[in-house]
Amino acid sequence: MDSISHLPEHCDISLTVNGRTSALRVPANALLLDVLRTEFGLTGAKEGCGVGVCGACTILLDGAMISSCLMLAARADGRSITTVEGLADGDGRPSTLQDAFAANGAVQCGFCTPGQIVAASALLAENPKPTETEVKEWLMGNLCRCTGYYRIVDAVLEASNGTSS
Amino acid sequence: MSIEEIATEPAPEAEFSVVGKDVGRVDGDEKVTGRAEFVADVVLPGMLWGAVVRSPYAHARILSINTSKARSVRGVWAVVTAEDTAGKTWGAFIRDMPIFAVDKVRYVGEEVAAVAAQDLETARYAASLIEIEYEEIDAIFDPEASMLPGAPLVHEEREDNIAVKIDVERGDVEHGFAQSDVIVEDVFVSQPQRHAPIETIGSVANYRPGGKLTLWMNTQTPFMARSRIAWALDMTQGDIRIIQPYVGGGFGGKSCDDNNALVSSVLSRVAGRPVKLINSREEEFVAGSRPRVPMKIAVKMGLKKNGLVQAKSIRVVADNGAYCGKAPGVFNVASLRHDTGYRYPNVKAESYLVYTNNIPTGAFRGFGNPSAEWAIEQAWDLAADALGADPVELALLNAAEPGYVSPHGNRVVSCELKQSIRKAAELLGWDEKRANRKPYRGLGMGTTVHVSGKRHFGDYDGSSAVIKINEDGKVFIICGEGENGQGTMTVLCQIAAEELGVPFEDVSISQADTDSTTYCHGAYASRLTYIAGNAVKFAAAEVKRQLLETASELIEAAAEDLVIEGGTISVRGAPGSRSVTVAETAWSRQYRRGGKPIVGAGSFDPDSELQDANRYGNESGAYNFGVQMAEVEVDPETGKVTILDYVSVADCGTVINPITAAGQQEGAIAQGIGYALTEHCLVEDGRPLNPNFSDYKIPCTMDMPPLKIGFADSYEPTGPFGAKGLGELGLDPTAAVISNAIHDACGVRIKELPITAEKVYFALQQKAANEVSEGKA
Repeated sequence: MDSISHLPEHCDISLTVNGRTSALRVPANALLLDVLRTEFGLTGAKEGCGVGVCGACTILLDGAMISSCLMLAARADGRSITTVEGLADGDGRPSTLQDAFAANGAVQCGFCTPGQIVAASALLAENPKPTETEVKEWLMGNLCRCTGYYRIVDAVLEASNGTSS
Repeated sequence: MSIEEIATEPAPEAEFSVVGKDVGRVDGDEKVTGRAEFVADVVLPGMLWGAVVRSPYAHARILSINTSKARSVRGVWAVVTAEDTAGKTWGAFIRDMPIFAVDKVRYVGEEVAAVAAQDLETARYAASLIEIEYEEIDAIFDPEASMLPGAPLVHEEREDNIAVKIDVERGDVEHGFAQSDVIVEDVFVSQPQRHAPIETIGSVANYRPGGKLTLWMNTQTPFMARSRIAWALDMTQGDIRIIQPYVGGGFGGKSCDDNNALVSSVLSRVAGRPVKLINSREEEFVAGSRPRVPMKIAVKMGLKKNGLVQAKSIRVVADNGAYCGKAPGVFNVASLRHDTGYRYPNVKAESYLVYTNNIPTGAFRGFGNPSAEWAIEQAWDLAADALGADPVELALLNAAEPGYVSPHGNRVVSCELKQSIRKAAELLGWDEKRANRKPYRGLGMGTTVHVSGKRHFGDYDGSSAVIKINEDGKVFIICGEGENGQGTMTVLCQIAAEELGVPFEDVSISQADTDSTTYCHGAYASRLTYIAGNAVKFAAAEVKRQLLETASELIEAAAEDLVIEGGTISVRGAPGSRSVTVAETAWSRQYRRGGKPIVGAGSFDPDSELQDANRYGNESGAYNFGVQMAEVEVDPETGKVTILDYVSVADCGTVINPITAAGQQEGAIAQGIGYALTEHCLVEDGRPLNPNFSDYKIPCTMDMPPLKIGFADSYEPTGPFGAKGLGELGLDPTAAVISNAIHDACGVRIKELPITAEKVYFALQQKAANEVSEGKA
């Protein structure tokens, strides 16, 4: 029997995901995106391109927005992660930002939506009253093929209580 | 209700309570919280992962396939090739494609073998150990060259590489040209745009030993997928169940013309376990959704001095790629549809769909219209130039009107194209901008006509739906049309709520599941609001009849005197009289001796025709129209084009949901702008060089111009509450609109998509050089 000659070593790590800390063993080459989706069942973050361009896998790592398809899970050892599932309140009710996406038509197919919302939440945490240009610049790494982006920008501005166009 | 009856239904005086209102999307909460389940999120016990071995050559004989090393990898459950299939070829119009290549490969990316293993890494590793010996043979990539005698045959059993030919003349174009004062002609080339939804194509197949195959599949057309898959696997349709999870964008690319679900199904049968197969982004580019059919279109048009068009002829050469898929339908539309938008007395189309060793092409939002309008809407701009006319005035003079019958038999009922043109001109400030011209700024326009459903898969283009009222009064629509992001589920719930007189919040809708919903064609041809909307409306009318029948006993009043408002049934015009709720009525009808449910079906098949042998026939029950206008600025130093202002106005009849309707136009325009300016899959010897989002540039937030969206005041008498289709027209004319504006801005016309800054820059250089040499002469 042949087998994969480069079978990876495993790593024992600790991740705080959406406020809950877990210890787990992951293959050293496991991507953070895949671990969140398979080990934690948090399928909100998606793989759209696998190379950190489309933004569908966007999560927060210690509050900073990253592409989880580009990070090894082992590298996140000891760190705090927020996914789109962690933005809703304890009963699963959508946040103001999430509500703004649903109400403004910022959602069509919904596949890029978790990444857009997580990215926008990072913006609002850093800059609670962004201008329209600041929203567009911040979200330029989150691709959407359905909406043309207008309503995504509007939703973020509405959630920030800024001026919605 | 029959078609004749609804055709006479007048525009209602009364205000709607749900239709036309900005209700929230029924799938909104699930999508914003990350709970919406897409195919990649589906996990079954014992599930394996699949990986595909694809051809590295565009055209090669397969001399041998050795799978022994792959089979010996620990964790591998199945290794399959063409030998593990029923040996059938399949396709939407022409059955020419195998599941795995047999004897030879015909494009880079074609499926040759596949592996199912305990995890994706093992599957890919084992796939890399499959040894395939190829012998390369001459490949052909240029459709024009492929038409010539002696070209390498893509399918050797055929006499030549021409898959389909159209040769249609209505009237007498030569006579029309002879009568013309002005004749314009030119040649325009379009590119194979990729759908590029953020979710790639994928499936989870679960073949049970008893012979039942269940597929979770992100298809836009579950029932049509079922029939093609049944054919290709040599199974009966009832033995296949297709469940549509949420679909992460389709745009025509997920209408089951590729092999993904067939490969996972074969793997699952051989492995005896469920198999998940999700395309990587690169696989999506090389062998996933079938890109827009690229076309070379020569157009010639003749007009009188007064601006009335006399004749138009086009010659289309379209690249089919290696297998047919939907390209025969796309190319038909590109050849003929446009003649429904303007009143042409004489038209001719000579069109060739040609096999090559490129990736098979197919259905992409617009379905032939964007490629055709790229050429023809520029011909109209050339005509306006030649006549010294305002393009807006010329369009208004020739535009279709209600009652127009196109040369190919398309019967237009509602048509507000002229109103749309005027509205768009007003929104852009066309007249004012035209009167106050600025250097390197220009205006462009283009119009489109699209269908609301198209009868071309046999003589049926209908839909059906079932509605049941639950015992708590909540309304559940059972519908197999599906949702791929456009908002159909929400719109159908609005239509049911309006017809029934219940709150929108009380209505929900099933996902598409071929085992539990009635037959539905699915999402294509901008058909769902119009066709499925009518089916749901008729189903709602039937359950309303049942509700009123029972309520009439409870209230002791005649059913025809009753009205349902806000979920309560009472006597019309008698406030304060006895009333019952829908919930009480449903419960009472069910929970009694001999009780029965409140459940009803509705069907609708529009008044359209299958084209005859000469391609004549009214293809759709209703036609939707659109017009777009742009103001652009060209930087003469760099060739960069900036869209300063963009306007799109659609005639889609009654707007059922303003937010999703506007969203359809906005998203389509984004795709149209990508088609016009940035999206280009570079190919060398049939091999895509930029199969990723870094190098294939779809628009991002920063690329979107200021945009104004409008809707014509319009009512389609055959549509549900006056509605017709909308989904595709928003990108049909966009590339031509931008090109026309660039020409107006700087006097150069780019005739091959996409219009890159580089092309504009060199065209400006050439223009300057020509002016210098003309000055010398």
